[in-house]
Amino acid sequence: MASTDNTAPKGGRTRNGATALVLLGVVGGMVGLSFASVPLYQLFCKVTGYGGTPGRETAEQVHAAAPGARIIKVRFDSNVNHNLPWVFHPVKREVQTRVGEEVLAFYEARNISDRTTTGTATFNVTPFKVAPYFNKIECFCFTEQTLKPGQEASMPVSFFVDPEIFDDPATAEVTTITLSYTFFPAKPEPRATAAPEGLTAESPGS
Amino acid sequence: MSDAHHDHHPKGITRWLYSTNHKDIGTMYIVISMIAAILGGTMSWYIRLELMEPGIQFIDDFQFYNVLVTAHGFLMVFFVVMPAMIGGFGNWFVPMMIGAPDMAFPRMNNISFWLLAVALVLLLLSALVGAGPGTGWTVYPPLSSATFHDGPSVDFGILALHVAGASSILGAINLITTILNMRAPGMTIHRMPLFVWAILITAILLLLALPVLAGALTMLLTDRNFGTHFFDPGAGGDPVLWQHLFWFFGHPEVYIIIIPAFGIISQIVSTFSNKPVFGYLGMAYAMSAIGVVGFVVWAHHMYTIGFNVNTRAYFTLATMVIAVPTGVKIFSWLATMWGGSIKFEVPMMYAIAFIFLFVVGGVTGVTLANASADLVLHDTYYVVAHFHYVMGLAAILAMMGGYYYWIGKMCGRQYPKKLANLQFWVFVVGINILFFPQHFSGLAGMPRRIPDYPDAYAGWNFISSVGALITIVGTVLFFIVVWRTFASSEKVEANQWGEGATTLEWTVDSPAPFHTFEETPDMTGRQPAE
Repeated sequence: MASTDNTAPKGGRTRNGATALVLLGVVGGMVGLSFASVPLYQLFCKVTGYGGTPGRETAEQVHAAAPGARIIKVRFDSNVNHNLPWVFHPVKREVQTRVGEEVLAFYEARNISDRTTTGTATFNVTPFKVAPYFNKIECFCFTEQTLKPGQEASMPVSFFVDPEIFDDPATAEVTTITLSYTFFPAKPEPRATAAPEGLTAESPGS
Repeated sequence: MSDAHHDHHPKGITRWLYSTNHKDIGTMYIVISMIAAILGGTMSWYIRLELMEPGIQFIDDFQFYNVLVTAHGFLMVFFVVMPAMIGGFGNWFVPMMIGAPDMAFPRMNNISFWLLAVALVLLLLSALVGAGPGTGWTVYPPLSSATFHDGPSVDFGILALHVAGASSILGAINLITTILNMRAPGMTIHRMPLFVWAILITAILLLLALPVLAGALTMLLTDRNFGTHFFDPGAGGDPVLWQHLFWFFGHPEVYIIIIPAFGIISQIVSTFSNKPVFGYLGMAYAMSAIGVVGFVVWAHHMYTIGFNVNTRAYFTLATMVIAVPTGVKIFSWLATMWGGSIKFEVPMMYAIAFIFLFVVGGVTGVTLANASADLVLHDTYYVVAHFHYVMGLAAILAMMGGYYYWIGKMCGRQYPKKLANLQFWVFVVGINILFFPQHFSGLAGMPRRIPDYPDAYAGWNFISSVGALITIVGTVLFFIVVWRTFASSEKVEANQWGEGATTLEWTVDSPAPFHTFEETPDMTGRQPAE
């Protein structure tokens, strides 16, 4: 900066340049933090069960938790993104279960198009606050699912509700939990071709 | 001490295009802000005309309605308030108030301004390509995703914000460096005028908040065009991540808008009360506290996404804490006026109106801070009324007050006092009739961002639109005042406000010479500026 020589009373251009460099570093750091927030955010949801992200447990842990006496109702919900030509619904709409008991439930999915498609399911539970107490042991949503044209498949999920749900004052009043899945195409197709076709293949879910 | 080029006084178009002079660049910022204000204001009046009665009157293309709402928000936030306060008054008066000859990086100052001009053109282009961005200024995905906004409109909008953000970041670096390094000897940090304090805090907020917006916008851009899935739940992304990033920027942004206004109001109240500001250090650190706490309250904009009760309790509490330093500022302004020899010149009238409107907006803000109440009021006109009072109207009143306060220093001529008085009353009555009824329609449940509404909301909407018509008259009067000021032959003296105006800009001629404070003033023995 040509004119800084006589504009800065004490120090001049080097001091101004150093200040500007530090400030630029702050800007760079904040940009980095905003991108770092993506993995941090996912980690945060997994650890805290935020936004209804259920926990994932092994079969050993379920036996460690003593089954409680109380009964809780679990409802099953299913949705399909309109870009995936599938029909997807739970076999039973709801089950009554004793807390701490392992439950095995099934969904059914059918590919109604004439090509092989691969889907992946996102999931959550509502109310969101019960997520830390809702544990999945095995689930079709942990991996991608591929269906040939017209193929139908049964998709199992096993889970248990932690009996401690009734010790937490925030969740003690819960009597019904809804487990929800949404199937999306595993590899989103180019939108120019996918969108119009997807509209005709849209499924109401169940 | 001067280089040869310092005597050079550029003329014609190159004086403006190539300008490195803080006063000329400040003037250009104020002009671009006025142009954007006419555009953004016209859009809002068109919206109010549509909403004057139930049913569809003028806008039968609802995407276009959404585009109007979006462009109004973008223009007012990024191209009216920020350029006028930070680029305009900040450029003009920060160097003069600290006794510096210019900004630390005069050529970077030039590029800051012209980037902003480019950004404005890009934003206007976004409405002309395709269907226009109808996303609201919050640009939430999935509405802003390629599925619901195909075509290049949103991409143009994103680019406009990127460029405007780069402009503001460069401007902020320039202002911080100037304020930290180029103060006159004896003017310690604790003796700077409060306007300089306000701009320093604002610039720091800009530096911390804008890169987050830039990062989020980049993610949205790559989601739309390059196959990433930051906000696409189908591939493991989450649209709520956008809301977190956007509001981590968005909440400090509202303080970026209002803190310079605090600075202007402090100078005006002190000048026309003929007293130093009551509790100078308290004022400075209240602004700092507002800036710090402003970074940890963002989620109060998104209470409806399903936070658990502890998170809601935290954000409710943290939000309410902001009322404390804000209250310190309000009471200090009142205490400054208390016992002062008050002159009700037009800038002082604007300052008092600012304090009144800011308190109204602040009170509704405390209401909205309650997560439980906000679940009901979210996305209603109550929120619209709240943020227009607390940052829209308050900021515009501070800008007009600043204009009347400094226009004599900037152009050397006296504004027409009677006309300015009339302009003040018409404008202030207009904006209150415009926005106060929106509290009532909002409490009754009227949702924001809709072109039509049930007949039950007709009454308050009609009154609100009448207020908009009065505001149009007030705005036209303002531009007549601007024209009459520049056409006036009445010159003002160096210190037109008398002994209450103690800051350094009043020690140089009016209009301020092209170069000021080439000899650095010594502030060691003198009374602190304010």
